[in-house]
Amino acid sequence: MGRTIVITSGKGGVGKTTASANIGVALAKLGRSVVLIDADFGLRNLDLLLGLENRVVYTAIDVLTGQCRLDQALVRDKRLNKLVLLPAAQSRNKDAITPEQMRQLASALSKHYDYVLIDCPAGIEAGFRNAIAPAQEALVVTTPEIAAVRDADRVIGLLEAYRIRNNHLILNRLRPAMVAANDMMSVEDVQEILSIPLIGIVPEDEKVIVSTNKGEPLVLAESPSLAGQAFMNIARRLEGEKVEFLDLEAVSGGLFSRIRRLFGAKG
Amino acid sequence: MSEAESTPVEEPASEETESPEATPEVEQSTPIVSGLALEHGEGRYRLTLPPDLDWIDLWPQLQLYLVGQEHLWSETLPVDCACGQRLLDQSQLQQLAEALSEHQLRLDKIITERRQTAIAAATLGYSVQQGVLPPLLAKETDPDPEPTTNPLYLKTTLRSGMEIHHDASVIIVGDVNAGASIIAAGDIIVWGRLRGIAHAGAKGHLGARIMTLEMAATQLRIADLLARTPDPPNPPYPEVAYATDQGIQIAPAYTWGRALAVSKAP
Ligand SMILES: Nc1ncnc2c1ncn2[C@@H]1O[C@H](COP(=O)(O)OP(=O)(O)OP(=O)(O)O)[C@@H](O)[C@H]1O
Ligand SMILES: [Mg+2]
Repeated sequence: MGRTIVITSGKGGVGKTTASANIGVALAKLGRSVVLIDADFGLRNLDLLLGLENRVVYTAIDVLTGQCRLDQALVRDKRLNKLVLLPAAQSRNKDAITPEQMRQLASALSKHYDYVLIDCPAGIEAGFRNAIAPAQEALVVTTPEIAAVRDADRVIGLLEAYRIRNNHLILNRLRPAMVAANDMMSVEDVQEILSIPLIGIVPEDEKVIVSTNKGEPLVLAESPSLAGQAFMNIARRLEGEKVEFLDLEAVSGGLFSRIRRLFGAKG
Repeated sequence: MSEAESTPVEEPASEETESPEATPEVEQSTPIVSGLALEHGEGRYRLTLPPDLDWIDLWPQLQLYLVGQEHLWSETLPVDCACGQRLLDQSQLQQLAEALSEHQLRLDKIITERRQTAIAAATLGYSVQQGVLPPLLAKETDPDPEPTTNPLYLKTTLRSGMEIHHDASVIIVGDVNAGASIIAAGDIIVWGRLRGIAHAGAKGHLGARIMTLEMAATQLRIADLLARTPDPPNPPYPEVAYATDQGIQIAPAYTWGRALAVSKAP
């Protein structure tokens, strides 16, 4: 039985889909079999980020309505044979699927894959409840902003209420220079409020946008950028490896001078 | 602690006192309704489900409620579940049983006024009592019920969006995060950081207090008084908020007994 993990956040646009795609690909690179479920019905874009849009034929809804078999709907990644995507329907509304159906899909898939990763839609309504229904663990994504952290806190409370208690935090879009200038919440500030274990700190990185547009996840690059390395490290931590946080991710006092150098290099 | 000792006994709490109407709206929340109750009687427990909440909304609250109570018994005890008019299907009953079993409680009997719920329960092998039944505690049939005097004791972090209403005192062992709120008819005790909204004496009791290890509340209310807390002392120490003629005051916990004695002196 594979692990079923939902990537969720509450607030929209904080990087759930980016994290899902990159962590999925990173795990596949580590030799694990991975299925990514796009649970953002009506607004799918995981296929875009993975560069698989033109290969989508069937969606999860087609499986549930019996239009096709589950394995027919899975889109294989040409670059990594260990990774497949179960796309979401773009046209159907979010009510077209129930938590029970999500559970069925995920449990069928977890028999054949090491990881079932579910990209959750924003919000805490029906789409959220569908996405978390099959999960045993969650990766909660937030950015270092009050509103995002507040929503993450809310989501952690709901996850716990639905008895998903193995939860880890991904802090995305951190800008160390801003933290140093006291213009942004620090890693400690966020952790102190959310009090769940941290599994990754991903810096703000313009390569994310480039990779999104190219449909080529950061972690696929020959020499991944800082954000790419951060996602790779998250995958390794999921695998149980003890991986030091990147320099940028260090929480220690000596952090900021080193970070300034890093950023200073860019001008 | 020397720093703390130098703090005045009474510190005016409100930078500005506003009318309750002027307070920011609490966002869509997950309230613990008073209708949810777990009561002890004759070697078993009775779980009463509030009638007016959808299952989907009731479920997280029930979890929160149970998590907070889990230390209160050690052996597995049978539970009668009073569902009233609520319709419960088999899968919901199973979820309920599972949730209870995690807290050393065994769903035993379903007390329902609905035929379908009774059938579902019987199918799953639970004993069923149909119709309205003799209450475990006399107050349940009281036409004008006195507010329950049992405090609500929850051992959990109250996260953003969670809201607790209770007709007596509320004790939280854990933090109350910003965006969470507690509305209690009695006292509020937070053994942790209080960052959300706390309303003690919500039914008008001016003698109610709010006590916490770190008073960083977004807003404090006692009866119809309202205050915003100043920044908490750094490093934090336990404080008590209480009502006076001048509004809500905050005092360090260890001098508060004296403050109270003084304020009560003739
Ligand atoms: N570390 C980062 N650095 C720079 N840009 C980022 C980073 N992470 C995400 N972004 C950008 O933020 C935007 C939102 O990201 P993404 O779509 O992954 O968020 P989401 O949480 O899935 O959004 P939604 O709630 O709409 O599903 C995208 O344009 C993405 O490129
Ligand atoms: Mg998304």
